[in-house]
Amino acid sequence: MTGRGPEARSWLFMRLSGLVLVVLALLHFALTHIVNDVVETDFEFVAGRWASPFWRTFDWLLLALALLHGLNGVRTIVGDYVASRRARAMLMAGIGGLSGALFLLGTLTIVGF
Amino acid sequence: MRTGGSPYRGRGGQWAFVGHRVSGFLVFLFLLLHIVDVSLVRWPAVYDEVHRLYGNVLLRAFAVGLLFALLFHALNGLRIVAVDLLPRAVAVERALLRAVIAVTLVAGTAGGVVIMAPFFAGAR
Repeated sequence: MTGRGPEARSWLFMRLSGLVLVVLALLHFALTHIVNDVVETDFEFVAGRWASPFWRTFDWLLLALALLHGLNGVRTIVGDYVASRRARAMLMAGIGGLSGALFLLGTLTIVGF
Repeated sequence: MRTGGSPYRGRGGQWAFVGHRVSGFLVFLFLLLHIVDVSLVRWPAVYDEVHRLYGNVLLRAFAVGLLFALLFHALNGLRIVAVDLLPRAVAVERALLRAVIAVTLVAGTAGGVVIMAPFFAGAR
């Protein structure tokens, strides 16, 4: 944690977001697959949950952190296995663009519900 | 696992590294799909129709796989944080990895039984 460059920030972000995601993601999975059967999580279930600002915030935080954490992980993997700088840049622009679009879609889904 | 002059020998820590990447990547791919399927909630009838598919045995098995990937990635991530931050964790790093695997298998199997149960009970 001594460094201050972008990679040190990335390292710290992965650990901090990871710690939060352990709770958010596992709780989300448990609620939608263990506590409730997946068949029960229909429109009515979602509407009931999203009536509460708490669960909207919970789900949006999960959306944002999981996307950023995953995108940064993919960036690390691409950096390790794709040798050409140009190919890396193009690949990350594509995956980043897709993630950005899905972040917008997910945000609109939660906020506009 | 030994290729060319690689110093890596495929011992526990390296398999954990591979498993962390593979599980993380798979969960990321699922996340992208999941954002799209939840966005259908704007059209309740369409959402419910697509949603009924999740009770299918194949998609239940898929959920069990997702649970194993999530558990391993989450627990191994905690192991990584522990090894990074707590000097004492380094000494027991191997025991920590065994614990990660054990808890993943036990919790994943228990969760898997709950997820698959409705199928075996005949409710599709």
